[in-house]
Amino acid sequence: MNEKRDAMVGVVIVAALVVIVVGTMWLEGTSFAGETTDVHAVFSEVGQITAGNPVKFRGVRVGSVRRVEVLPDGSLVRVTFRVQEDLRIPPDAVVVLSPESFFGDWQAEIHSRARFPHAQFADAREPGDLPGYALPDIAQLTATADRISDNIGTLSDRIGIAFSEETAMNIASMIDNMEEVTERLSELVTQQAVSFTDVTDDVRRATQGIGDAALEAQVVLARLNSVMGQAATGEALSDFAALAENLRQLSEDLQGTNTTVQAMAMQVDSTFAALDRVAVQATEGEGSLGRLLSDPTMAAGMEGTLAELQVLLQDIRENPRRYLRLSIF
Amino acid sequence: MTRTLLAPFTALGRGVRVFTLAIGRWGGLVIDAARALRWVEIWAPLTLRQMTRIGVDSVPIALFIAAFTGIVLALQASYTFTGAIPLYFVGVLVGKTMMLELGPVLTGLALSGRVGANISAEIGTMRVTEQIDALETMAYPPVAYLVVPRVIAGTIMFPLVTALAIAMGIVAGWFTAIQLLELSTPEFIRGLTLFFVPFDVAYAMIKATSFGFVVTTIGCHFGFGTRGGAEGVGRSTTGAVVASSMVILVLDAFWAVLLL
Repeated sequence: MNEKRDAMVGVVIVAALVVIVVGTMWLEGTSFAGETTDVHAVFSEVGQITAGNPVKFRGVRVGSVRRVEVLPDGSLVRVTFRVQEDLRIPPDAVVVLSPESFFGDWQAEIHSRARFPHAQFADAREPGDLPGYALPDIAQLTATADRISDNIGTLSDRIGIAFSEETAMNIASMIDNMEEVTERLSELVTQQAVSFTDVTDDVRRATQGIGDAALEAQVVLARLNSVMGQAATGEALSDFAALAENLRQLSEDLQGTNTTVQAMAMQVDSTFAALDRVAVQATEGEGSLGRLLSDPTMAAGMEGTLAELQVLLQDIRENPRRYLRLSIF
Repeated sequence: MTRTLLAPFTALGRGVRVFTLAIGRWGGLVIDAARALRWVEIWAPLTLRQMTRIGVDSVPIALFIAAFTGIVLALQASYTFTGAIPLYFVGVLVGKTMMLELGPVLTGLALSGRVGANISAEIGTMRVTEQIDALETMAYPPVAYLVVPRVIAGTIMFPLVTALAIAMGIVAGWFTAIQLLELSTPEFIRGLTLFFVPFDVAYAMIKATSFGFVVTTIGCHFGFGTRGGAEGVGRSTTGAVVASSMVILVLDAFWAVLLL
């Protein structure tokens, strides 16, 4: 009885220990088959990579992350990977850490460096260490997106502040005005469309007329061309020459006439100059005429003399015998 | 009138006094058990038997509870993970939940009912039938004879039983996933290993060990404090189960705050 009880206790203990040890190793990704070797890589930072994360080569899982440790000087992170011993790593191999999915699980991938020409890989400190680079985490990308959304929010707030009720009313009024202007433009366009149609018709007719004229001109030119080739044309040209000579003679005569007219104009000009001098003297009160115009006493005398002359003339009309004596014989 | 006004304060003060007294007595028992470790020739032969009764005999009920817990976890996970969340996260939820929470806690609660009640009733009966007094009369240290083997057995066997229970829960979840949820074994294993860290197992073992210790010591404490015959035994048994269950939940939160 005691042996059976002891055996049962032993079985439970062994089973539980096997479950704990083997289960932990299995879940951790420890390979129970095949030889493995350690590969090291250095990174400036490693994102969320942890021990147990898968290591992939060309998409195939070839090992797992064993250890993640910061170098003593704190400048880099050294990650140890346990991979299949028969894995042939390319000479320019690099290790890229990246999210395996959107849910926080990461992986390490062995690639050729040429595939990531712009990535800034950490420089290996020791021979055998592979350069490593960690891609941005989804959280970093979302954080960037979050910052962008914050900026957009700030911008929206500012627009909200600027876009007051008064601004809204102004914009509404402006929209109404634009609507009205649009309606008017529409009406104008409708009206002008008729005129435009008329103009278009006119233009079309004018174009047609020009076309007809061009055809007629073409006919005329053809005729002219044919005329130019006839004998009568020479006679006509001689007549044109005689006409041109007459015109030249007429031009010379006109030129002589022009000289005569020019002299007459000079005489008239001197006459007007003399009149101008008389007018100036009269204005300045010089001479009889000037004094008459400028001296009121003389003017009054003149008026008196004229009055007396009128009386005298009246008297002569009434009593001519008093002043005139006619004797025929 | 004055007594009526003071009644709540009196009740509070009495409760604190009783609680403090119980903690003190429990602490005293633990200290006595530590001192009784020197009686190896007394407790060592009895420990294996207690390991059988506390551990081996508790395996079936622990596995039964864990199996159905794993099944329900897988089904509820698939019910919850709709849309953007891939179904292989069923493995994540089953594994993490069984290791970090449900495995240790459900096993601890189940064993507090079975083991704690058993210890309390057994020692309580010995107390009311004056068998413990007889041991003392014969200069036989009762703590070394009754308490130490049970505490050692419980502290050792609880994590082992919990480990088997966790494994059973995960296996049941996997079986449910591939049979009922159109999930393949590689997908389930991918989820199971996705966020696994060895500390998860260590965390479960630490919790289970502490649960084994408190369940056995509380059972012994209530058993040693039994008074009043059969009725007292029943009261002690009930008290041991209730107190063990509450302490397990308090410890569960304590370890989560301390270790996670």
